[in-house]
Amino acid sequence: MNPSIKLLLLLVIALEISFTMIISLNVALVVLAIIYLGLHGTKLKTLAWLLVVPLLPAIGLWSTQYINGSGDKTLMAWVLFTRIYAFVFTGATFTLTTNILQLADALEQNWHLPSKFAYGVLAAYNLVPKIQHEVKVIRAAGLMRGQQLSFWSPQLYFKAILVSINWSQNLAQAMASHGFVEDAPRTHYRHSAVHARDWIILGLGIIGMQIGVFVIPWH
Amino acid sequence: MATITLHNLTFSYPEAVAPILDQVNLTFASGQFTLLTGPSGTGKSTLLKLMTGLLSLPANQGSISFNQTNLAAIVPTDRAAQVALMFQNPNQQFAMDTVENELIFALENRQLPPQQMPQRLTAALDFVGISHLRHRHLNHLSGGEKQKVALAVIVAMDSDVILLDEPFASVDPTARASLLRRLVRLRDEAGKTIILADHDLTDYEPLIDNVVRITAEHTLAIVPQVQQPALFQAFNQRVSTHTTWPTPTSGTPLFQLKQVTLQQAQHQLLEPTDLTIYQHQTTLITGPNGSGKSTLFEALVRLQAFSGQLTYLGNDIQKLKRKAYARQVALLFQDAETQFLNITVAEELAQCQKYAYGDYFTPAHIDAALQQLNLAGHQDQVIYTLSEGQKKKLQILLMLIMQSPVLLLDEPLKGLDLASINALVQLLQTTLAATQQTLIIISHQLTGLTPLIDCHLRFDQHQLQYQEVT
Repeated sequence: MNPSIKLLLLLVIALEISFTMIISLNVALVVLAIIYLGLHGTKLKTLAWLLVVPLLPAIGLWSTQYINGSGDKTLMAWVLFTRIYAFVFTGATFTLTTNILQLADALEQNWHLPSKFAYGVLAAYNLVPKIQHEVKVIRAAGLMRGQQLSFWSPQLYFKAILVSINWSQNLAQAMASHGFVEDAPRTHYRHSAVHARDWIILGLGIIGMQIGVFVIPWH
Repeated sequence: MATITLHNLTFSYPEAVAPILDQVNLTFASGQFTLLTGPSGTGKSTLLKLMTGLLSLPANQGSISFNQTNLAAIVPTDRAAQVALMFQNPNQQFAMDTVENELIFALENRQLPPQQMPQRLTAALDFVGISHLRHRHLNHLSGGEKQKVALAVIVAMDSDVILLDEPFASVDPTARASLLRRLVRLRDEAGKTIILADHDLTDYEPLIDNVVRITAEHTLAIVPQVQQPALFQAFNQRVSTHTTWPTPTSGTPLFQLKQVTLQQAQHQLLEPTDLTIYQHQTTLITGPNGSGKSTLFEALVRLQAFSGQLTYLGNDIQKLKRKAYARQVALLFQDAETQFLNITVAEELAQCQKYAYGDYFTPAHIDAALQQLNLAGHQDQVIYTLSEGQKKKLQILLMLIMQSPVLLLDEPLKGLDLASINALVQLLQTTLAATQQTLIIISHQLTGLTPLIDCHLRFDQHQLQYQEVT
């Protein structure tokens, strides 16, 4: 499925469940998401993590609402509890099955976003593991110079920002030296298309969602 | 085929007093291999960036033309067809995740029809001899491998002029020779014009057509044929030295490796190894790119996971307090900028003096060292505007001032010219004599370094062992 259409559908779903209070709908979305992830070969361990990690915020929201809420406290508490899971699992259907490169391709080719933006995001994404390692290295470098850089030390952030600015400049130069010119036409090796099938899935998804919200008498 | 003409080229950086290039006039003939040389910090990188259009030349500051067409008048999308630049720092020239995707990115920018891409891609990788790296992640490649990928991109883009800015600073001799062979073939078979900036002139003599030097007057001069042998002579000596280093057997063990293995991603770098490195000996580590030398250093300072046991003076390093251990064992990072914590040179020096573990470096000593390293007068400069060579020298000075009992140096001579190397080795020798530190050095470049070395470790084929010759 075209990643940009998938993202669009998920945004619609997320927006809609933010304004509805149907517990069964949230649960149904989680179940559908699990089925989808299962079909895409997601490991059981990953699924288990997705269940465990949101538990704390979900319980937090549930208890806040249950203790301090107004109106139908029990209903609202469970709505919020299941909503968190619905967000996490529908989100996971995107993040766990879509390659960032495919998304960049779709944004550039199907939605005609400036290629600078698409590739900038991509390059930044590719830098993330390097940045994590860099923070470790900066702290080690500090220690070797007798200075402890704690997580609230401005020097650590100054250094990290400096490194980032430097990287971004070098990256811009690297892209330019590999022939990249802002707003210039490019050819595309990986062809990203929006097929009729994508539109149909989007349409069916949105219709299904409306049926779930307005038609089915959930209890 | 392209001839490059520089006409009255003048360039100064906004913060500088004097122009770094002053009224440069020169023509680089088409289809020739030119070596551009000159001490670090004299403007080689600046010139190459100007010629690529990465730095734009202000109006009325002369002109750069490719086949009589002014560079400024060439449409940006056509520039890559004219000229490509390979950078000094192998870590900062890629935008994508894998080798294949980076090549595709470049070809898409050149607007090559997609159906021609697979063939062009395969040909470029084959030409450089790195077909096996095609699907690898760029982050997992060694410096030398990255430079090979960078060359493959240039080959794929098929630019007429190939500029290389100290491309071999972090490349081992084998990879360097292989890259040089490819460049010569590009000149001879495809008629490319090649301009390569380097200060280490080893092995170039039989390959190149011209030598151009950056002069003290900030201009370029062609070195006449008769003077060239003298220029190369200084570098050829290293080939003829047959130094042997004994395998150490006695002394205080500094580091002890017990069944240590190293791994990067799914790649095994070091098989289970038992080894002792001794105190007060300067140990040199050599080995091909990607063998795992830097990873070993990162493991020694606990920036990299390893299995087995590693002890420092008999204590398991995993059990030592991070802070206390960092005061004992410091690493000189391969990338100089990693070491810096402040903004100006003076601030960095002050920081080190404040936290130094010994008092050998008095202000007078530091001034003398700055003179010796040709860094005097730069105290108020922002570190990040120093040239790569100046950064390297400052970085080493800072770590010497700290006087940690053990200093691991990862490619300390990277990007330095011969004069700087000699000054640096001298400084290291006098400092060592006074402070009794232990140095462990990774270096590809041995010119000038040999007087320092007591013993030699070879890291190759997943093995790390003492060897008498390099």
